[in-house]
Amino acid sequence: MPKTILEVIDLKKHFIDRRGLFSFFKQQRQSIPAVDGVSFNLKENETLGLVGESGCGKTTIGRTILRLEKPSSGKIIFDGKDITSIPTDELRQFRSQMQMIFQDLDAALNPKMDVRDILSEAITVHHRISDTEVDNRIGDLLEQVKLKKSKLSSSPHELSGGEKRRVSLARVLSVGAKFIVADEPTSALDVSIQAQVVNLLRQLQKQLGLSYLFISHDLRVVELISHKVAVMYLGKIVEIGLSDRISNRASHPYTQILWSSLVEKQSKETVQKAKNVQAGRWGVFDFEGPAAGCRFAPRCPVYESMGKPMLCTDAASEPRLTDIGGSHQVACHFPP
Amino acid sequence: MTTAPILKIEDLRTYFYSRSKQAFIRSVDGVSLEIAKGETLGVVGESGSGKSVTALSILGLISVGPGVISGKIGFHSDRIQKDLLQDLGDFVKLTTRAGKVMEVTKDVVGWERNTERVMSKVRGKEIAMTFQNPKSSLNPFTSVGKQITEAIRLHTAMKIEREAKERALTWLDRVKIDSPRLRFDNYPYGLSGGMCQRAMIAVALASEPSLLIADEPTTGLDATIQSKIVDLLVELKSELGITTMLISHDISIISRLSESVAVMYGGTVFEYGPAKHILSAGFESKHPYTSALLASIPSAQNIREKGYLPAIEGDVLDTINIPEGCRFYSRCNQVTEKIREKCARQEPDLRQIESGHKVRCWLYFD
Amino acid sequence: MKKYYQISGQISEFSDLPFWKKADVVDLVYVGYGLLIVALVVVSYILGSVNLLPRDPQDIDLQLIMAPPGTAGRLLGTDFMGRDILSRLIVGIQAYFLPGLLAILIALCFGTGFGVLVGYRGEKFDTGITYFTNLVDSFPRLVLILLVIAAFKPDIYYIMLVVGLTNVPVVASLVKGKIQFLKQKNFIEADIALGLPTRIIIFRHILWHHCRSLLIIQATLGMAEAILIETSLSYLGFGVQEPTPSWGNMVQSGANYFMQGKFWPSTAPALAILFTILAFHLLGDGLNNILEDKRST
Repeated sequence: MPKTILEVIDLKKHFIDRRGLFSFFKQQRQSIPAVDGVSFNLKENETLGLVGESGCGKTTIGRTILRLEKPSSGKIIFDGKDITSIPTDELRQFRSQMQMIFQDLDAALNPKMDVRDILSEAITVHHRISDTEVDNRIGDLLEQVKLKKSKLSSSPHELSGGEKRRVSLARVLSVGAKFIVADEPTSALDVSIQAQVVNLLRQLQKQLGLSYLFISHDLRVVELISHKVAVMYLGKIVEIGLSDRISNRASHPYTQILWSSLVEKQSKETVQKAKNVQAGRWGVFDFEGPAAGCRFAPRCPVYESMGKPMLCTDAASEPRLTDIGGSHQVACHFPP
Repeated sequence: MTTAPILKIEDLRTYFYSRSKQAFIRSVDGVSLEIAKGETLGVVGESGSGKSVTALSILGLISVGPGVISGKIGFHSDRIQKDLLQDLGDFVKLTTRAGKVMEVTKDVVGWERNTERVMSKVRGKEIAMTFQNPKSSLNPFTSVGKQITEAIRLHTAMKIEREAKERALTWLDRVKIDSPRLRFDNYPYGLSGGMCQRAMIAVALASEPSLLIADEPTTGLDATIQSKIVDLLVELKSELGITTMLISHDISIISRLSESVAVMYGGTVFEYGPAKHILSAGFESKHPYTSALLASIPSAQNIREKGYLPAIEGDVLDTINIPEGCRFYSRCNQVTEKIREKCARQEPDLRQIESGHKVRCWLYFD
Repeated sequence: MKKYYQISGQISEFSDLPFWKKADVVDLVYVGYGLLIVALVVVSYILGSVNLLPRDPQDIDLQLIMAPPGTAGRLLGTDFMGRDILSRLIVGIQAYFLPGLLAILIALCFGTGFGVLVGYRGEKFDTGITYFTNLVDSFPRLVLILLVIAAFKPDIYYIMLVVGLTNVPVVASLVKGKIQFLKQKNFIEADIALGLPTRIIIFRHILWHHCRSLLIIQATLGMAEAILIETSLSYLGFGVQEPTPSWGNMVQSGANYFMQGKFWPSTAPALAILFTILAFHLLGDGLNNILEDKRST
């Protein structure tokens, strides 16, 4: 029975919009709820895909779990230990096991260092090792991520996109990552390279027993690589379940709309449903004044088709994630 | 169809120069394609394939390095029929060794002036272009409405401000931007990426061009917005019948919108023909690159079986170090013993294998 | 007509040619010239401090007043008191060299300190320090210097202290800007996420890898500025006083005789000022272009 490596309980991260010098005097500070009460579990050797449009908070969740942002409330339990508010020195021990792959290909790759320096710095972060040991480790890492040894003396700007990705993977593996938050790991890559990286990620998972939080807007890749998928909207998870459930028998209207954008999935009904929403207006996300009650109501086709029931916009009855069988949860008052 | 194609590019070459390596960056290295009137040509390629540079070369927007050095760009609309690179030979001298261009002597300033003279009548009015990164491609200092109005007044017969403004409003509505009267005065920073892209499409189409070049119209946008933009383009296409050159790395978009497809790699065209032949899975005679590329996209089957994706090995071609022989040789998985010698030594021509379908591959040469 | 040619044979896989091939010739010339003058200044300073001079700079020889260069072994001639100009020039370096270093040291140390504090920790520090730097920035430096001179004595070290302090905001904002850029590109976060200790992030990655070029450049500009201020003040009579030589007061004392056609006593120090300040500026500019990799391709 694979153990749970990560438990996130009602995690919230609010950004305070500071305007002006005397903002700390202001009574009313604008608070942007980037992550507004998210809970999920992740087991060893498992991948949880996280999808949603830009601004929904998916990147913020990844960063908050790794304590790159301070959580506003909630709990993060990694490998059985509550790391939500432990001090930085204690945190550093856990840091080696929970790592992040950034969306920006150049992040983590210091342009003034060559690949060998980058990797040896990472290797020696937590342990003092002899030079020959370091070289051996580097050799192993390169093999794992399938990078040629000749690339060791290259600077990051001489590397191709795929190679940069591999180096950053090697870097996080070298410190001993067991859980990796992969933030759009394939978005900046060419199509043919994306396939390579996706394959590599899956191989590494099998070889090393890694767990991934796979954040992406590429639904096909998410479906392929994830065991479970969570759909986020405006800071909340609106649906979560096994990946083929979510892609084929989604419950939440938003999930259905998301998947309808995939060309292959366009059966008559999904296109029709999507068209109904398309008839609506497309303004910019209004974070600063989310609708009362269900956040998706203003864009929801079901809301429209049911004659705008009061339940959906009632501030007191925000839909909560409820089990609908087979580890599938939906936050909707009227799941079809 | 005996009408001349609106655009006919023959053996276009656009080079840049790397001072630190003292070598040419051969971004467009012999590209030939054509677009018939009313047709949408989808240009597919990964990074380094030269697709964007091709578009910029057509419009004479390359101002760095040697730039366009050879080729013909035949443009044939109702009003203008000429080779846009007609005078190029007067400004450029090439020295070739072993079939490769090794030296370029170009009167850069002179060519720039010549280009301005020729292209000022073409840009906007005859050929309009939309760019990637809509937010940064629109003028940040003018409201979007004004930008459309400006296009109308410059390129169409409608010169009166008031009339042009009304027409601009109809365009805003046509590209499905909500509350056109309000949005008219919005600046690009106040609009979302999707809306900026729509606005840019409006600017381009409001000039009533004979050819629209759309460079990555959906990249950088959210998935749901992407499909909306594609829907919009489909609608506009059937309403207006515009001839389009659609550039994208997203094959699903190309397949929804294009009749013909050109697959580019490493600065040249590998395959060219009807979209329904080239992009449909299962159709046999395609270039090994095209089939490998299509296979590496997660399909419903891959996903169901949760198998590993058949990825193309190696890295995308670096357009500085172009190898002898076929550009795809080092990554190709369909090389047979019979043609191995040729693939390694000689680059194949773009040859017609059946009506309207051309492939650049030794596999199809006997 | 522009000519482009490709080298035959293998194109190097690495785009990192040694810097002398990569850099613009102009920048190399700038740096070469700058370094030459800097070397001259340093050597002269050392000579001056151990008193290894061609002549005694204070030695008055009334028979050789305003002698043109070359007379009786005075390589650059003599001033209005018959003193050897060359020796006085060499000693004049002492007027600005150490004080200039003081100014640079203060500006760089405090500037970097503040810059890192604000850039790295941000939030609480930002507002306060921004206010402080704006305050310092808005003070006209000359007024401040004159105040100091009036309140204390016209000691060049006090003056340079003020110069250094007034440069702290500049350095701080440069460092802060660099850190913000690094943050935006997720460099710093990636290091934190990896578990790198803070001191390595700050000292190795931020300061050494990314800030060293801008700090070097600030140092060269700072020295140029120090020379300018010291010589200007001495020229006006507020800095180094006679008979101690400073390039500034040498120009001043020679100025009276300029109209008489004896322009050398004034011109020699003036040229020294010109070429030295120019050298530091060009050095800074050239180094900036080379170190910051401002290639044209």
